[in-house]
Amino acid sequence: MNFALLVIPLIIGLIFGYFLREKRKVNFGKVTFGIILVLIFSLGFGIGSNTELLNALPEVGLSAFVIASLGIVFSVILVKAIKRKAGL
Amino acid sequence: MIKCIVAALFIGGALGYLNANWANIVCSVWISDYLLNASLLLLLFVMGAAFSMDKESISKMRQTGLRILIVPLVIAFDPILGGVVSALVLGLNVVATTAVSAGYGWYTLTGPLVTQIFGAKWGALGFTANFLRELLTIITVSLMVKVDKYAPTAAGGATAMDTTLPVIVRYCGSDVLIVAFSSGFVLSLIAPFMIMGIASLG
Repeated sequence: MNFALLVIPLIIGLIFGYFLREKRKVNFGKVTFGIILVLIFSLGFGIGSNTELLNALPEVGLSAFVIASLGIVFSVILVKAIKRKAGL
Repeated sequence: MIKCIVAALFIGGALGYLNANWANIVCSVWISDYLLNASLLLLLFVMGAAFSMDKESISKMRQTGLRILIVPLVIAFDPILGGVVSALVLGLNVVATTAVSAGYGWYTLTGPLVTQIFGAKWGALGFTANFLRELLTIITVSLMVKVDKYAPTAAGGATAMDTTLPVIVRYCGSDVLIVAFSSGFVLSLIAPFMIMGIASLG
């Protein structure tokens, strides 16, 4: 799926919510959490059925883990460093 | 809450593995593609609606305005630090490792693109490293939100607009929705250029 298409349901949701905002507050919490579990489940399912990825893991797993972790660490440091200056 | 998320991930993984290797009861594309996209589209709609219904979120959004773009533009520099340090730690080729890191978690892009440029071995690393970034973001979100409100958004990189977005919003609050989504969107736009740009240095 083209990633740019993801903007469409988001914008429709934003407009929908805007017109409903004077109405009684709806609690989306439980419903969203249920759908999040479905999303994460299907994400896991895709990983589990991806034989190529699972075969590559023993060989590249450690390097991949280091690259992923350091990527996360430096992203967080960069954002934390700039956050106050940017007034966010 | 995070236990349920991790459990769903592992149960999905186990069932996906069993289905692909033994049972073959369902076509895995139905779940890993159609069900994934359907739940994602639905979540984006619901999160969008929840955001607009929350007056505080909208007023916060008005205050910050275009400054939210600083978040992805800062994260864009992450491969230069994370990639280079990883290469030095692991003793790998600096240019190729930095290119792998420039996928910002978007593994379906990085895997094939890095394969074309550096070969299959690097492609496997590009795929796995970026997929692990997504996985680690989901698993550690409850810890990261204690470090900083925008830490999970930073960790998610390009995936902050899709797979990790619902989890990020769940833990950081409805008002991070637009910051996280636009950060993921901008990084998704930057990623292919960044990978090819870095690769051209090698």
